[in-house]
Amino acid sequence: MAVGTRGGRAGQDVLRRVGEASVLVLISLADGPKHGYALIQDIKELAGVELGPGTLYGSLDRLERLGLIESLPAEDRRHPYRITAPGAAALRVHLDAVERVSAAGRLRLQLGGI
Amino acid sequence: MDDSRTARLLEIVLRCYPAGWRRRHGDEAAELAALLIRDGTPAGSIAWSYLAGAAREWLTPRGGRRLGTAACALLVAACSLGLSAGLLASAGPARAAITSQGSAAPAASAKASTSRARTQCRPGTPARVPGVIAAVSRPQVIIWEAGHGRSC
Repeated sequence: MAVGTRGGRAGQDVLRRVGEASVLVLISLADGPKHGYALIQDIKELAGVELGPGTLYGSLDRLERLGLIESLPAEDRRHPYRITAPGAAALRVHLDAVERVSAAGRLRLQLGGI
Repeated sequence: MDDSRTARLLEIVLRCYPAGWRRRHGDEAAELAALLIRDGTPAGSIAWSYLAGAAREWLTPRGGRRLGTAACALLVAACSLGLSAGLLASAGPARAAITSQGSAAPAASAKASTSRARTQCRPGTPARVPGVIAAVSRPQVIIWEAGHGRSC
């Protein structure tokens, strides 16, 4: 099921159900293609999360099936991955949603005086 | 854990993945594991992560194929078992009733009287039992057993 065909209407947050690891992989790929090892290192720096290699490949496969990323021709034995246009759009929608929830949470904390 | 044992462990764990996955990611996954071990990640945690990933890979439906097939097979098996059990349950009392009705021989009559003591059969109009279709052109007998009426 690729985004843009089924369940991937514009404005819909398709990343809500893919899991945190997949969102982190998309964020890491947002500034350019990376292979597995570079993704793990980048996500560790970016979010302080150490992705296990099994989790990483699961996320890569899921995102690729959804059409949010694509693999590039292998360099040596490594497959670099690149975010696709629907992937970038889905990431924007998701980050906007997260921002809205985050802002609402901060506002409520302020109102509650906690 | 020495290098050869680590390599062997990772090889075994990577073999747990489906063949398609191994063809696509196998070499890269082994190289990635080696790089992570070089960086200080414990080999056990890498192996565990790959093992969990392999389990997920097998369990994740690909277009609903694997799980769908398994679910269908289970459903068919459960239905067959249920149907067989239902047929056996409905055929048992009917057989007992036929035996007790047509008992001409003395031995059979003695047996039937014992049977009658436990199960009282009398001809009559069967009470409607949900899910049971009344047999056509067969004598209708109602078995009263433990307060449950059944048509047979």
